[in-house]
Amino acid sequence: MTKLPIKISAKNVDVFYGAAHAIKSVDVEIADKMVTSFIGPSGCGKSTFLRCINRMNDTIDVCRVTGDIMIDMEDIYDRRVDPVQLRAKVGMVFQKPNPFPKSIYDNVAYGPKIHGMARNKLELDEIVEKSLRRAALWDEAKDRLQEPGTGLSGGQQQRLCIARAVATEPEVLLMDEPCSALDPIATAQIEQLIDELRSSYCVVIVTHSMAQASRVSDRTAFFHLGELVEYGYTSHIFTNPSDKRTESYITGRIG
Amino acid sequence: MQEQHISTAFDRDLEGIQSNIMKMGGLVEAAMIDSARALKNRDVELAERVRGDDKKIDALEMLINEDCARLIALRAPMASDLRAVLSVMKIAGALERVGDYAKNLAKRTSLLIGSATIDGSEGSLLRMIKEVEAMLGDVLNAYVARNTDLALAVRLRDHTVDQMYNGLFREILTHMMEDPRKISTCMHLHFIAKNVERMGDHVTNIAEQVIYSVSGELPEDARPKGNLAVADDL
Repeated sequence: MTKLPIKISAKNVDVFYGAAHAIKSVDVEIADKMVTSFIGPSGCGKSTFLRCINRMNDTIDVCRVTGDIMIDMEDIYDRRVDPVQLRAKVGMVFQKPNPFPKSIYDNVAYGPKIHGMARNKLELDEIVEKSLRRAALWDEAKDRLQEPGTGLSGGQQQRLCIARAVATEPEVLLMDEPCSALDPIATAQIEQLIDELRSSYCVVIVTHSMAQASRVSDRTAFFHLGELVEYGYTSHIFTNPSDKRTESYITGRIG
Repeated sequence: MQEQHISTAFDRDLEGIQSNIMKMGGLVEAAMIDSARALKNRDVELAERVRGDDKKIDALEMLINEDCARLIALRAPMASDLRAVLSVMKIAGALERVGDYAKNLAKRTSLLIGSATIDGSEGSLLRMIKEVEAMLGDVLNAYVARNTDLALAVRLRDHTVDQMYNGLFREILTHMMEDPRKISTCMHLHFIAKNVERMGDHVTNIAEQVIYSVSGELPEDARPKGNLAVADDL
């Protein structure tokens, strides 16, 4: 693959849940300003690997991560790295929309507030508007900013979560099956949004929908039984994959 | 052959399309053999039958295209499945063209009734048809067996057909210069020869599609060409 600025670089990463070996010496370099998708059958380790990138696995006691994961050449598992700061830089959107039980405004303003990103109400207002615009939710939400976020539709809630994630000015956006709870129209809106986010962020998306991976991503990584089997251009993976296991999976021959 | 899909209906759909391709291939082979025999024996009845049977070939092509469109829409085939569907559509198109040329050959046979046979040239022409027909048989076998070596071999044989055509072209030209009364017959024979040469090209295209479907890559090297310069100017 052509050389592009590398944002995330993983070397020899292994993950264990107790005795279970969930990720087996994965090496991968993820380019900046691109959408990279992780695909693979359930339990293949793709979500586990995604969660290593913002140290979400730290919250699981029995989980142990070895190897190096670097963002901008900095080891994110270094003892000096504050996971909270890291997660501001590496935002995450989950499968189910999970807005806080607060107003739309406060959902977006929460992150910038705790990270001290705004000096006054005016600046905070600006961040909220900018984030909601980025998440393509502003027009629908601007007249109801004080209403609860949970009152929005599923697709709107997911865009609210994206607005919340981008509010802290992250550099990397991780998405763990962001559309699997949404209808096709809301899915299309999120996919359109991902396409727009590509120019500003390094986006990594885990998806069960191969059609979605093929629609939104530039690069695709196929995981199977904890191994990174194949990683390459999305167009190549879906027309002429190099590995037999990739072929079998994407053509619906193994589960 | 290949592993089964988790969805057996997907396998059924793909197999259905592939069996239609084979059916179509069989009809085109028969059209070639029959049109050659009709020419040789000046058999108008057989020629008419070839012309009529071309409708079956056309109908199969339409059916295959419809099935492929449905499969793409409903099953979103990927990787080797996607290539299989894409190549099937192109193979069906190429077969339809070959069938058309056979029909055209039969049409000219009706026009040749009553005219004297052109010694030598007709024999060469029949040999050329036989060669292309053998290539078609082999490429269909290569398709079924997913045999890229056989497909590559077929592709290389197109060179022989081109050479046969060039030889025939000169022969026919000589006949016309020797006896202007033969010009009209010779013109028909030449058109037939040109059409058979084109059939060879389409069979070669099919061979390339077999290679693409199996390996994901088209052969890169330009295939050897007989010198067609003299003929292409006409």
